[in-house]
Amino acid sequence: MERAPAPPHPDYPLLRPIEKPGRSFYFIVGVLLAIIAYTGYVYVRQILFGLGVTGMAQPVTWGFYIINFVFFIGISHAGTLISAILRLSKAEWRRPITRMAEVITAIVLAIGGLHPIIDLGRPDRMLNLFYNGRLQSPLLWDVTSITAYFTASTIYLYIPMIPDIAILRDRGVRPRWLYEFLSWGWQGTEQQHKVLDRAMNILMVVVIPIAVSVHTIISYIFAMTVQPGWHSTIFGPYFVVGAIFSGIAAILVLMIVFRKVFHLEGYLKQIHFNYLGILLLIMSLLWFYFTFSEYLTGYYGHEPNEMRVFWYKFTGAFAPYFWTMVTCNFLVPVILLGIRKFRTITGILFASISVIIGMWLERLIIVVPSLANPRLPYPTGIYIPSHTEWMLFIGGISVFVLGYMLFARFFPVISIWEIEEGRHESAKAVTERIASYMPDPQPSSAQE
Amino acid sequence: MNRNWINRLQIVSISLVWVLFTGIAVWVFNLIKESLRLHDAPDASVGISIVAIPVFFTLASVLTYVFIGLRKGRRKDVEP
Repeated sequence: MERAPAPPHPDYPLLRPIEKPGRSFYFIVGVLLAIIAYTGYVYVRQILFGLGVTGMAQPVTWGFYIINFVFFIGISHAGTLISAILRLSKAEWRRPITRMAEVITAIVLAIGGLHPIIDLGRPDRMLNLFYNGRLQSPLLWDVTSITAYFTASTIYLYIPMIPDIAILRDRGVRPRWLYEFLSWGWQGTEQQHKVLDRAMNILMVVVIPIAVSVHTIISYIFAMTVQPGWHSTIFGPYFVVGAIFSGIAAILVLMIVFRKVFHLEGYLKQIHFNYLGILLLIMSLLWFYFTFSEYLTGYYGHEPNEMRVFWYKFTGAFAPYFWTMVTCNFLVPVILLGIRKFRTITGILFASISVIIGMWLERLIIVVPSLANPRLPYPTGIYIPSHTEWMLFIGGISVFVLGYMLFARFFPVISIWEIEEGRHESAKAVTERIASYMPDPQPSSAQE
Repeated sequence: MNRNWINRLQIVSISLVWVLFTGIAVWVFNLIKESLRLHDAPDASVGISIVAIPVFFTLASVLTYVFIGLRKGRRKDVEP
């Protein structure tokens, strides 16, 4: 028997990709699966032949895998943290953005979290962490905090999705059993809304310190050692700022792509890009401030080992990467976002891509030069990433794109119920809020 | 899929969440026990665990609250 067509919905553009996916979806998924399959083959080869297939050797024993680990976990700060801050501050313009941001976190954390395992020549030795882990090791703090952040982010993504999943269930979208299972009998009653609001309020508060702790702890992997260039007290906040910076850039790129592909111009407007663009500009200035402080204090100390790393980055083998990083993270965003006429959607896209590249280079510059110039009397190390490492990087990006596409195939990337709620209640809520904090009009002097 | 099966699956899923988080707590306790046995900075281990374990249980509690709350908040007369 043929299914009755679903009734029209005021936010149908958000449901269209789920109800009528285009042919290009299957084609892109096919290409991504092929890349991922090849990456899998390359990884199996690494397990069989060991880490000799990578470019890592003494003294540079950390390479692309740890760089990408820090980079991906940094991108994950896009989602849950920014979404929680925007929700908590009741920023009404957040409504079409939050879910896109939260999805980034869940997918990227899963990919980033796997990288330290990939970095192990013997991944089975990961089990030693469970049998004989030492809780005072920053590596174990990482495992704990990333697991907590991943769990919190997934719950924080899922709970606000329940009303939208119920919309899909009620429209008879397939697989119906999945939507039925995930919607937990949502009917939109007052009691259910109360439960949802209360849970989200708790999660918002819980998720922010977890998110901050995650990247702080990742910085501790470096800062808790006495390696030149790593042993810094500001590494924690420096990493958090960098993570939020790259995260905002990632959200902007995705927003622009989805706006174009799914024709979401009515939902993602210039004002959203403008606000996030300004936030990106502020983060760029903050990033520059931290970078400047970090290198200035190192330079003033003039400790010989520290200076070897310093000059290696500023004028040595890593100078092209270092100055490209400064250009990408500071000059390009400040020009494109600081000058109003360049702050168009295209300008913001270029600035965001520039920041993503710059932040990846920053991770490269943090990890490799310190290992290449250790305190021990080794000759300066050389690191050239191999085909295996490049492929696992490309594979990681492919998994991210595939994960995001699959999410968008089954769930709305913009929260439908929050948009509806915004249309009906935002204006009233904002008026009441303004009235609550604005001073009452004073009596005129004549009356006095 | 039959509605009863979906109900069962939902109950199994929430039980699994608790099994997972209890498993994490047991693992962390085990690490503390090891650090005590080896005299390997047990104070640090206890300090970290005091933060980590409640976070996981808070998350599990929020999830359980939502699932139970949504079921209880359903209208009696209408099936979804």
